[in-house]
Amino acid sequence: MLSKKCLLVFVFISSLYNINAQNCNINIKGKLVDELTQKALSYANIYIQETFEGTVSDEQGNFSFKNICAGEYHLVFSHIGCEITKVHLNLYSDTILNIALQHHETALNTVVVNGTKDGLENQTKVFVSRKEIEDNTNENLANIIENESGVSLIKNGSGIAKPVVHGLYGNRLTILNNGIIQSGQQWGNDHSPEIDPFSADKITILKGASAIEYGGGNLGSVVLIEPKHISKEPHLHGQVNYAFESNGNGNNLNARLEQYTPALAWRINGTLKKYGDRRSSRYFLNNTGSEEANISIQLEKSWNNKFFLDFYASTFNTKIGVLKGLHIGNLTDLEEAFLRDEPFFTEEKFSYKIDAPKQHVSHHFTKLKARYYFKEKQNIEFVVAGQLNDRKEFDVRRGGRSEIPALSLLQFTLNTDLKYTKEFEKNWLLKVGNQNIVTDNTNNPETGVLPLIPDYFSWETGIFSSISKKTARANLNFGLRYDFELQNVATISNTKPRKIVRYKNHFHNAAALFAVKVKLTTTQSLIFNTGFAMRNPAINELYSGGLHQGVGGIEEGDINLRTENALKNTLEYLWQPSSKFSLNALVYHQYFKDYIFLKPQEEIRLTIRGAFPVFKYEQTNAQIYGLDLSSRFMFWNSVFGQLKYSYLRGTDLKNKEPLVFMPANSLYGSLAYRVLKPIKISKKIKLDALEFEVNNRFVFKQTNLIAEQDFVAAPAAYNLLGLKVSTNIIFKKYKVRFIAKAENVLNTRYRDYLNRQRYFADDTGISLTLGINFKF
Amino acid sequence: MKIFKLLFAAFVLTLSSCEKKDPEIPNEEEVITTLIYTLTPSGGGTAVEMKFQDLDGDGGDAPTITTGKLMKNTTYNGTLVLMNELVTPTEDITEELKEEDKDHQFFFSSTISDLLVSYTDQDADGNPIGVETTLTSTNAGSGNLSITLKHKPNKTASGVSTGDISNAGGETDIEITFSIDVE
Repeated sequence: MLSKKCLLVFVFISSLYNINAQNCNINIKGKLVDELTQKALSYANIYIQETFEGTVSDEQGNFSFKNICAGEYHLVFSHIGCEITKVHLNLYSDTILNIALQHHETALNTVVVNGTKDGLENQTKVFVSRKEIEDNTNENLANIIENESGVSLIKNGSGIAKPVVHGLYGNRLTILNNGIIQSGQQWGNDHSPEIDPFSADKITILKGASAIEYGGGNLGSVVLIEPKHISKEPHLHGQVNYAFESNGNGNNLNARLEQYTPALAWRINGTLKKYGDRRSSRYFLNNTGSEEANISIQLEKSWNNKFFLDFYASTFNTKIGVLKGLHIGNLTDLEEAFLRDEPFFTEEKFSYKIDAPKQHVSHHFTKLKARYYFKEKQNIEFVVAGQLNDRKEFDVRRGGRSEIPALSLLQFTLNTDLKYTKEFEKNWLLKVGNQNIVTDNTNNPETGVLPLIPDYFSWETGIFSSISKKTARANLNFGLRYDFELQNVATISNTKPRKIVRYKNHFHNAAALFAVKVKLTTTQSLIFNTGFAMRNPAINELYSGGLHQGVGGIEEGDINLRTENALKNTLEYLWQPSSKFSLNALVYHQYFKDYIFLKPQEEIRLTIRGAFPVFKYEQTNAQIYGLDLSSRFMFWNSVFGQLKYSYLRGTDLKNKEPLVFMPANSLYGSLAYRVLKPIKISKKIKLDALEFEVNNRFVFKQTNLIAEQDFVAAPAAYNLLGLKVSTNIIFKKYKVRFIAKAENVLNTRYRDYLNRQRYFADDTGISLTLGINFKF
Repeated sequence: MKIFKLLFAAFVLTLSSCEKKDPEIPNEEEVITTLIYTLTPSGGGTAVEMKFQDLDGDGGDAPTITTGKLMKNTTYNGTLVLMNELVTPTEDITEELKEEDKDHQFFFSSTISDLLVSYTDQDADGNPIGVETTLTSTNAGSGNLSITLKHKPNKTASGVSTGDISNAGGETDIEITFSIDVE
């Protein structure tokens, strides 16, 4: 009922009554099948962790081990497209194992996100597995999900990246860290979500119409970052990941330890990162180093399989340098910067030093979750969480003030989440719930600068209810949600004398979702989502006011903004004719009434620093539509690949012009060759699961723009070629995974439309990464 | 259940009474509100004052600009004063610049032909700052005089020490244009 193993769906262990006197004569036999198609999985690697004996499943999915001594073992299963799965075995007699493995992505429809029945199975989604997180030790959260179709990134140089799903980001995209809405990241394109991807085991991107359960103003898409439950493993387990990246001389270290005991299950995870200046294809990007130190603790305890208590606490701390040439004074400087071949302050000198402009951000998170099962089919869940986001941004300032932040914000958030789930007969499922979010945002006056975002206090409370029904052919899901938001704002006037001006707002928002999944045949299914959601204007859209350094513009909120309404429809087609091929096509359309966006004004504001263009938050009616395609394929059991294509178009319907800052279309492909059998290097050393991969990412030019919408034209299309070699080196009793990657192999000079640094400098050039991963 | 009701009532009460307390108004000591360029004829006579004043800083009310008339074929001694009138007492920013003289330089340019501004001051490295200048007028005419203050310019780049801004780089702290008449 509470199994969280998502990939190992089913294990059937049977011991044959044939106890051996000698104890080292035990045989293990087994069969591997694909959970979805029930077809045999051939050429899967299976090995016993303790003895490092390995084998490969045959055409019928059968495998066997002979003459094993009695004792406790861990059997490790791996197959192309599957996450590595472990089974703990207490071996005392001949044993037969029947194992069903689930392939990711190809079997999206049946992937369990949170428990067995969560009503999310009808929603369109993609996810990133732990293996991909581990193989990308050098990346941040947003970069890890970048290659998924429908996902893109807004960047500010190389260190700051935030995800964009179907063209929506920030206030319109909810990021759930551990089930709780991540605070602090909503406004500001130069704020990345302060989450360590290494604390997660899975990152899911819901691309459907409306995730009714979560609230938080999401208009369709949600990014879920989740650690898995601690497996019921009596032994101490852990892993160490280390990666060195040549571009930026970056060092990444991550370690994880966990153990289950009946008294308490625990896991601890820590990450350290340090990067120096990165390099574009032609010059150093000075002052783009970064540092990060994170730690998280997870504790789990259960009573009689009825009452469950989970505790989670984490701290994320980072320092990020911003390219020096990106700091400009006024429009003249900006125009001058556009014309330069190399950014200002470029030096042919590498350094780990981080000077102003820079950001220091800490995010502390703590959560307690309690779940109680009345009966097997009825449970209640209560979560309380607190978050503290401390953000300081430093500018190059006069009079020795560069070490005084120009922006200093402290945001405290308290979340509560109450959820009741009941299963009825005939596969009906009911969920009702309430969420509260209390936010207290305070500017520290140490800055000596008028704050861009005012001090505020807000309270959001929401209730939802959803019903789902499962039949042999179809899954249905219907949900409704209502939210109330109270904003209590204290702004400081920008006229002399400065005074405090208060605003009190309240908003009512409603949302509705209908989702259906129909199995057309055993290999084909359709998912249709339609959802309506409302989002009230956020604090920054209402009250921001002031100069936004780096884009050389004055941004002004509008206190008269109305609530934004969105209607999204998605239709997804899934086709998996065999375990060797899958196709996934998704079309979506979202209509917005009163879409809030930053519009360049005709007015040029005169200040002592020169003239600045003015951007104001305005509203229009808009639409975003697009297509996500992804396919996986496999030949000869050893060659496999994937293709992903994203197409998106945004239009301002009132003004009959394109929506600005929408992701460009992209195409990603990879092809890998895997050596099926372990390679013996010497008596003691073996190479297992040796894999060679070529990948390529092509980003089209954003042509859906008119010249007056930007300071400079959108950058040209670009192509990034990557290579990867990975293998498990087995030496005596130890197994180490080894990854070598090359990104932007051709050292292509490029700029990306959604990277703010594109006005000033090229994006990063070639980079080599060497990573090792050791698990025990 | 009574306890829950009570707790809920207490919760709602706490929230509704949760008025955000008054923010502390930051001390905006870095802002430059006022620039005064005083030109005194070297041969004596009435000084001309050009002034840019934006008392509430960026945004809010628009700045006021006052300008003056210059005489042709005259040499003036120019002095720049920067002030922050947002804080009380008014802060003299010129002093701050002089303390960080290596990091700052003023640049002057005019659309009026043969109107020249040259530096008469030096920083610790012997490079100009531009707080003290000489302005020489030749012909009569109408046009603009622009004053730019660069923070962290490259003072050793070609032409910078003679007042050519094109290779200076750095960040613009001030950029003001006065419309002037030379009679």
